[in-house]
Amino acid sequence: MRLCCHIPLASFALDVDVSFDARVTAIFGPSGSGKTTLLDAVAGLRDIARGEIEIGGKTLFSSARKINLSPQRRNIGYVPQEGALFPNLSVRRNILFGAERSAHATSANGIGMEHVLEVLEIAHLLPRPVTKLSGGEAQRVALARAILSRPQLLLLDEPLAALDIGLKEKILPYLARVRDEFAIPMIYVTHNVTEVLTLADWVLVIRGGRLLAQGVPRETLTSGRAVREIPEEQLENVFTVNFIDADKAAGRSRVGLSSGVEIFVPYVAQVDRPTFQVRVGADDILVGTQRPEGISAGNILPGTVRAVDMIDDQALVRVDAGEDFCVRLTAGAVTRLALDVGCPVFLIIKTRSFRLL
Amino acid sequence: MIFSLDTWQITLFSISVGLASALLILPFGIALAWLFARKQWPLKSVVETIVLLPLVMPPVSTGLILLKIFGRRSPLGQWLYERGIEIVFNWKGVLIAMSVMSFPLLVRSVRTSFAEVNPRLEQIAATLGASPLRIFFVVTVPLAYKGIVAGALLAFSRALGEFGATILLAGNIPGKTQTLSLAIYNYVQLGKDSEAYTMLGITVGLAFLFVWCSEWLLRTREKT
Amino acid sequence: MFLFVRKSFSVAVLFIILLSAQVNAWADEILVSAAASLIDVLQEIGAGYQANPKHAVKFNFGPSSGLARQIEEGAPADIFFSADLAQIDALEKNNLIEPGTRKNLLSNQLVIIVPADSKIAIKSPKDLLKPDVKKIALAEPSSVPVGVYSRKYLADEGLWNQVKLKIVPVQDVRATLASVESGNVEAGFVYKTDAAISRKVKIAYEVPLDKGPKITYPVAIVKESKRKDTTRDFLSYLQSPAAKNAFKKYGFVVLD
Repeated sequence: MRLCCHIPLASFALDVDVSFDARVTAIFGPSGSGKTTLLDAVAGLRDIARGEIEIGGKTLFSSARKINLSPQRRNIGYVPQEGALFPNLSVRRNILFGAERSAHATSANGIGMEHVLEVLEIAHLLPRPVTKLSGGEAQRVALARAILSRPQLLLLDEPLAALDIGLKEKILPYLARVRDEFAIPMIYVTHNVTEVLTLADWVLVIRGGRLLAQGVPRETLTSGRAVREIPEEQLENVFTVNFIDADKAAGRSRVGLSSGVEIFVPYVAQVDRPTFQVRVGADDILVGTQRPEGISAGNILPGTVRAVDMIDDQALVRVDAGEDFCVRLTAGAVTRLALDVGCPVFLIIKTRSFRLL
Repeated sequence: MIFSLDTWQITLFSISVGLASALLILPFGIALAWLFARKQWPLKSVVETIVLLPLVMPPVSTGLILLKIFGRRSPLGQWLYERGIEIVFNWKGVLIAMSVMSFPLLVRSVRTSFAEVNPRLEQIAATLGASPLRIFFVVTVPLAYKGIVAGALLAFSRALGEFGATILLAGNIPGKTQTLSLAIYNYVQLGKDSEAYTMLGITVGLAFLFVWCSEWLLRTREKT
Repeated sequence: MFLFVRKSFSVAVLFIILLSAQVNAWADEILVSAAASLIDVLQEIGAGYQANPKHAVKFNFGPSSGLARQIEEGAPADIFFSADLAQIDALEKNNLIEPGTRKNLLSNQLVIIVPADSKIAIKSPKDLLKPDVKKIALAEPSSVPVGVYSRKYLADEGLWNQVKLKIVPVQDVRATLASVESGNVEAGFVYKTDAAISRKVKIAYEVPLDKGPKITYPVAIVKESKRKDTTRDFLSYLQSPAAKNAFKKYGFVVLD
């Protein structure tokens, strides 16, 4: 997909020119950086001064060739920040609102209503009036509505922003499921790193209407240029793991990273999916130049330092311990331990520092 | 108070023409209100001002303008007369006077209701493939209907109370163009106080009822 | 803010002073309530009277029935100049007329007028029944003199019940004239004196003085008048040769 647009806004101009081709592309940036404007432009809800928008070879907008498809004809599903369910229609009619269009859909990916309801677990909500839905339920209904209009592209504008942390963690897996089950490309706007690391295959970092960086999330978000955009608490590592076994008495389960390395995470009984995700904050990992003895941490992983980025008074240290780990230390720690590229180190991570997704 | 046959005839006449006038202006009022609320177009502020004029000008002024437009000596009046349509001193004149005077009230009320519908909802409906017409009827109107009905009720009450424009354009012909308001004026002029008070009671009662309902509808609106 | 309040207050005081000065000037001005058909002739007579700077007259024109009602409600008229006897009779019955001041001054003739460019031929009142004649303007036939006269005349001719279906009631005789001028009605009943001042109407039929109603214009001093001397002065002026000439010039019949 090709996204090129120049839109003058109040205090800056949104000026973006990118091409990418990924399952889920995240647009990451602080509030007010023009992310929603960009989505609106892609959906055809906003005028573009000049630019080109192309999806799957089809031109949706071209100022040069005077092409401007109406939102109706762009075949794009939009899940806005507030869900925007129609309060005068039932949940059922909301979900099926765009379904008539699917009769003419070019993408015959055979998405059935029951399938969608099952994946998002909202079948029981059908008879309920829209105004009686909780925040999380409303978001899932909005998602179902967008999916069932058989779009060629899904746009999501900070879908989890309005939810509190506990709810965010509950809904995130649904989004992952949507990504895996329905094969519709997604553009996902957010200012939350976890969401990017969990869902996206590609990320565009935007600030003040300009593209700062783009690439694979794990690397791009920890690169020097982008890391300043990330709020303190959000620098995290996200890994896809598979379940091995569980030990309830000990309070932990064993999972395997894709490289084969095994780690301990807090107890979870059994996972019915082949893989799932766990995360650990960059601030929660200790680095040692020797293997420690007699400490509580359940995970001691040997690895090699791949990169050290000094940023102000902090340091981002990339360690290859089978998987790529990003660790944040104070600049002083790096100096004290004389950490440098190629140093052999041990990563010490508490079992309970891992969070399950 | 005297409830004669005349009283019923005048009341019935006023209500039916008032109702007809409200129904007549409804589609135009809704369409114009939507254009005001959702679109920008050249000369929009000029049209907004013109629509608002009958609300602030003395009704007789509006009546005079209408008389000049529809009178037999004007091009339009001539054209209509040749086709057998008479407006001046005719119930059609009552209809037009009522419609013109109550139109701005309807447009204002409906415009506010449309403006209160979250435009995001309409945008999302568009991305889901709904045509502008479908969006209007399935999303916008159902969410704004309370304001529309309130506006129609207000317009209807205003139509019932219309005097200045009506008396100039349609005259005060008993049995043909005499409305409740014109009847009150007539009875007072003729010194028939009891009949006048009957009409007064009816007009106050009706006005109270409709305005109360209109306000109730507006109070119970939900925010989108 | 306070400066603004002070300024507007002084402007208001100034205005009130000026106003009361005017009111004092009006103190000796007499108010004449007169039938609408007398507008033009009385304004000319009034101008003649006020050539003498000591005299001041103000006119209040309208349908005699409406004017009588005003006087009943206490309007400060000094003289009432009506177009028929019924109104003065009613006021006299309610003791609102100064005894001994009542006098029948004028008479008039009823005519049927049509718009100047009308193609409809009306040679007699029966022609009013023609289908071409759709609307006929008439001052309120139950109270305004010219309306009452016309109705009586048509009733005597046996035509009222049919003609009344076409009647558009208007405020007074000048409103009748205006309706016919506008072309929005096909015919109307006015006095011959009214038809004479308008070029946009033509007389279709003059009601013969012997067949038509006996039109009488009485004048009287209102009992409540506070300026009886000045009023009597004007009343006698209305009967002076100068005034009589004016009345005749406009087509009124002067009664002696």
